[in-house]
Formats: sequence, C-alpha cells, structure tokens
Amino acid sequence: MAAIVVRRVLWSIPLLLLVMLVTFALLRGMGGSPFRLEEGGVPPALQVQLEEHYGLDDPWIVEFAHYVRNAATLDFGPSLVNRYTTVDQIVEERFPVSGELVLLACAWAVPLGVAFGLLGALRRNTWADYAVTTLATAMLVVPVFLVAGVASTYFVREWEIVADGWDSRQAKVLPTLVLALAPAGYIARLVRAAAVETMQLDYVRTARAKGLTSSRVVLLHVLPGSLGPFLSAAVPTLALLVTGTFFVESAFRIPGAAQYFVSAALQRDYPMVMGMTVALAAVVIAANLLADLARISIDPRLREEA
Amino acid sequence: MNDAHPEEVGRRRSFWRDALRRYAANRAALAATLVLALLVGACLLVPVLSPYDPYDVDFEAANRGVSSEHPLGTDQFGRDLLTRTALGGRASMTIAAAATAVILLLGLVYGAVAGFAGGRLDEAMMRLLDGLFAVPRLPAMIVILVLVGLGGGMLTLIFALSILSWMTTARLVRGQIASLREHDFIRAAEAVGARSGEVIVRHMVPNTLGVLVVAVLLEMPAIILGEAFLSLLGLGLNAPEATWGNIAQDGFHSARPFVMVVPSAAIALFAVGVNFVADGVHDALDPRRGRARARRRVPRLDRIARAGV
Repeated sequence: MAAIVVRRVLWSIPLLLLVMLVTFALLRGMGGSPFRLEEGGVPPALQVQLEEHYGLDDPWIVEFAHYVRNAATLDFGPSLVNRYTTVDQIVEERFPVSGELVLLACAWAVPLGVAFGLLGALRRNTWADYAVTTLATAMLVVPVFLVAGVASTYFVREWEIVADGWDSRQAKVLPTLVLALAPAGYIARLVRAAAVETMQLDYVRTARAKGLTSSRVVLLHVLPGSLGPFLSAAVPTLALLVTGTFFVESAFRIPGAAQYFVSAALQRDYPMVMGMTVALAAVVIAANLLADLARISIDPRLREEA
Repeated sequence: MNDAHPEEVGRRRSFWRDALRRYAANRAALAATLVLALLVGACLLVPVLSPYDPYDVDFEAANRGVSSEHPLGTDQFGRDLLTRTALGGRASMTIAAAATAVILLLGLVYGAVAGFAGGRLDEAMMRLLDGLFAVPRLPAMIVILVLVGLGGGMLTLIFALSILSWMTTARLVRGQIASLREHDFIRAAEAVGARSGEVIVRHMVPNTLGVLVVAVLLEMPAIILGEAFLSLLGLGLNAPEATWGNIAQDGFHSARPFVMVVPSAAIALFAVGVNFVADGVHDALDPRRGRARARRRVPRLDRIARAGV
C-alpha cells in the first residue's frame, strides 16, 4: 500500500510539469503581449525595455526553466497588469473563496447524489426510481448558468430573500446549492448504475442470506462496492464544479478566482493566467490522486493488481 | 472491385440491415430521433417562415411575454425569441458539427499512430494524453480564445472548442487498435507484407467505426454546452449574431430569465436526444450485446460533465 502511494505521488510531478509546459506553450507560443494591446499600449521603446525586464525576450526554454524553478517555491512572479500585486497574492486571496464555494458544494452534492443513486437502485424500476433518475438527469443537463441566473434574479434581486456576495453564512447557502446540482445529478447517475450491478453480486447475496438487516447490507456491502465509478469520475465531477464557479460567482457577485481569471485573460496578464491555471491543475491532479487512493483502499482487488 | 468475396459482400449488407432493424426496434432511440429531427427541422424552417427579422431592434416590442404573435415572446431588444432561437440553433449545431469533425480527425490520427506504433512511442503518447486531460479545459479555452484573437468569428470558436477535446476519442481509437492488432486477420495482413498505412486504413479504421460514431455523437452536446459557456463569459460570436449561447447571455444580463430558459431548454433537449440516439446506434451496431442495455457500466449522458473540463 505504501509503495503504491509513493509511486502515485511521484507520478503526479511529471504530470504537473507537463501541464505547466502545455499552459506555457499556449501562452507564449501564440504571441501577443500585455504592452502591445491595440488600445492603451505603451510607446515602442518602453515596450522593449519592459519586455526585457520581465524576461519576455528570452528563448522560451530559458523562460520555462526559470518559471518552473520559481513555481517550485510558490513564487509565480508579479502581475504584468497590476504592478503592485503579485500572482501569489491573488491566488492566496481568491482561491480560498472559490475553494470554499467548491467544497461547500461538494458537501451538498456527495450525500445528495449518493442518496439519490442508492434510492434509485434499491427501488429499481418503480416510480421512485423513475422520479429520482429523471430528476438527476435534469439536474445534469440543465445548464448551470440557467439555474444560477434564475436563482440570483429572483431570490437575491427580485424578492431580496438572500444577500449576494460571500460575507455572511446565509449568503453562502444558495450559491453552493446551485453549484451542487449538476455534480449531484452526475453522482446519482453513476452510483445508481454501479449499485444496480453490485446488488447482483454474490457477496451481497451471501450477506443477505446470512440474515443481515437490509440497512446493514446496503451501508456496509452495497455502498462501498458502488463507489468505484464515482471515485474514478472525480476529475469530471471537479470539472463540473470548476465550470460552475464561473457562472455562480458571476451571478451571485462572489469575489472568487474564476471572475478574476476571465479579466486577467482578457488583459493578457500571462503570469497571472498561468499561475492560476497551474494552481488549478495542481488541485485537479491532487483530487485525482486522492480519489485513486480512496478507490484502492476500498477495493482490495486493485490493491493486489498494483 | 473484384477483391471482395461474394460471401463477404452478402454478409456485410445483412449486417447493416440487421443494425437498422435493431435500431428501429428501439423505441427510445426512435422517439429521440424524431425529437432531434423536429428540433433541426424547426431550426432550418422557422427563420425562413418567420415574419420577423432576427436582428431588427425594436424597443417598442421589447420584453414581450408569450403571445400568438410571438410564440416565445421577445428579448430586451424586441427581437422575436423563437426566430432567434431557431437561427441560433443553426449556428450552434454548425459549430458543434465542425468541432466534432476536427475532434474526430485529431483523435483518429493520434490514436491510430499510438495504437499502431505500440511500445515506447505509444507509452509516451498516452502519458501526454494524461497531461492534457489534467489541463482544466474551460480556463484553457478562455486563454486560447484570448490569444488567438477574439472576434475571429466561428473558426476561432471551433478551434478553441476542439483543440483540447479530442483526447477521449484518441484514447478510444488507440484502445481499439491496440486490441485489434492482436487479431489474426491483422497479423495475416502483416504477414503477407501489407504496409502499415494500408493496414490502418483498410482494416483497422473500418473496424473502429462503430465505436467511433457513438463517441463522436456524444461529443456534440458537450461542445454545444461549451459554446454556451464561452458565450456567457462574453467570448463567443460577436453580438448580434444568434447562437444558443449568445441568446442565453442576453438573458443572463437582462434580469429576465425567460430569455435564458428558451436556449437552455433547446440545449438540454439536444443533449438528451443525442444521448438516446447514440445509445441506439451503439446497440444496433453491436450484434453480441443485442438488447442487454441494462449492463452498461457508466451512463453515457455523463460525457456532458466533461464539457468544461
């Protein structure tokens, strides 16, 4: 087990480097400069000087090596647009807000999704199953911007039931719930499909035959056996959440990272965009790693394989 | 022409006929086909038949509710929402079809090369895919759009939507080919001295087609959703161009959510419809599976979750 953990952790380092290289190539390879905007740029002489100062005239490999060395010490450099802020400042200021939003949404989505999925599987092909499955499908396919837009328009602006922003505990309930809908529907569908299969397996039948109570069978046998597909889908789930934050933050005026990312990209603030992308990629890779390890610890077959 | 054995020709024809029969027996797939046909038909016909100009701003008629004149009401510029949604459907579906074609091409080439090469190159190419999968897709698409140049129109959008979305297809093709390589008929072709390019084009690609059609179909709703996400962030086609995403963006900023409901419903309908059609095609093309659809491990609709990865 320890060997697997070490190997998986080590494997995520080249993965992160690769992500950094791809992001770097995208940003540097395609040209453009923050000092060369059509409107509001700087005089050519100053432009050359600035590009030299920020190392934009080095060959790409030098620049990339430099960047990786700094990023290893969590130093993403200064912003090119706001001279008095550094990327790590913004990352430190904005990521916790978005992170809290995502984690609170998970706190809704995981129990909701697992409960819906188990309910559907246990009551397979009854009206309860159809209702739950249809609801889960609707939650997944109705775009997040619609729910965020409708909820914020009515609850926040029209009826003024809840405040917008991110200051009070009350203000956090609605946005996190809105963000949780699509992942909850997704998890419910995954868990239902897996639980239907698990319930037909021999060990579940044996547990039943031994006379265990049905709640014990469900909680200790069916549930752990049905979490595999959900855990392998950790990255798509996280993707749903990350995508959702762009619209939830915008609709509810939450000062998170997603909002900032769009404006930084529009201003071609390379270090800012890259730092935020790499930080996000690190989160994605870490989530994937954790999910893999959880899967291995739940499923003894995977442990033997590895 | 004469290299096809008569028996082979006969069998192939009956396979397609069987597939068609299996598809026709699948009521969910048929219903979904009908719904999709109606949706596409409406998108093609409504702008032609409609008395309204989809770009004509008329503040007198702004924010109208549902009426017999405007079956879906008007937006904040007084433009008929039904006409614009139908026109937007054309654009969104065109973008999705083009991006899917690019995805298919990239995935096919990359997957075929990796699967056929095997060994170290294959290993390296698959690790590169792992890295690309970990790139958060929506942020990357934003960066690409900004760098390639906004206002570049449809081509830029298609590029951004497809350039980081071909990995699933590539992995699928590679898996298929890696397993096909072990089959006797491929070994036989290699043994008689067929060039590798020939083996890929003549034997491997046709045998991968079924899986590929389904995968590509399932890619379309994710792309339509991706277009909507980008448009909502102000990175889509320039206004007043109508796409489902642009109309939703008008609604997002107008404090009148109904304007957003219409294109969102169209997107959801499209996604569910394509999903059932893809399911039907998959079952029809796989004679071994027959109608044992219940044993599918992961529900297919869930590709949609990857829209913004």
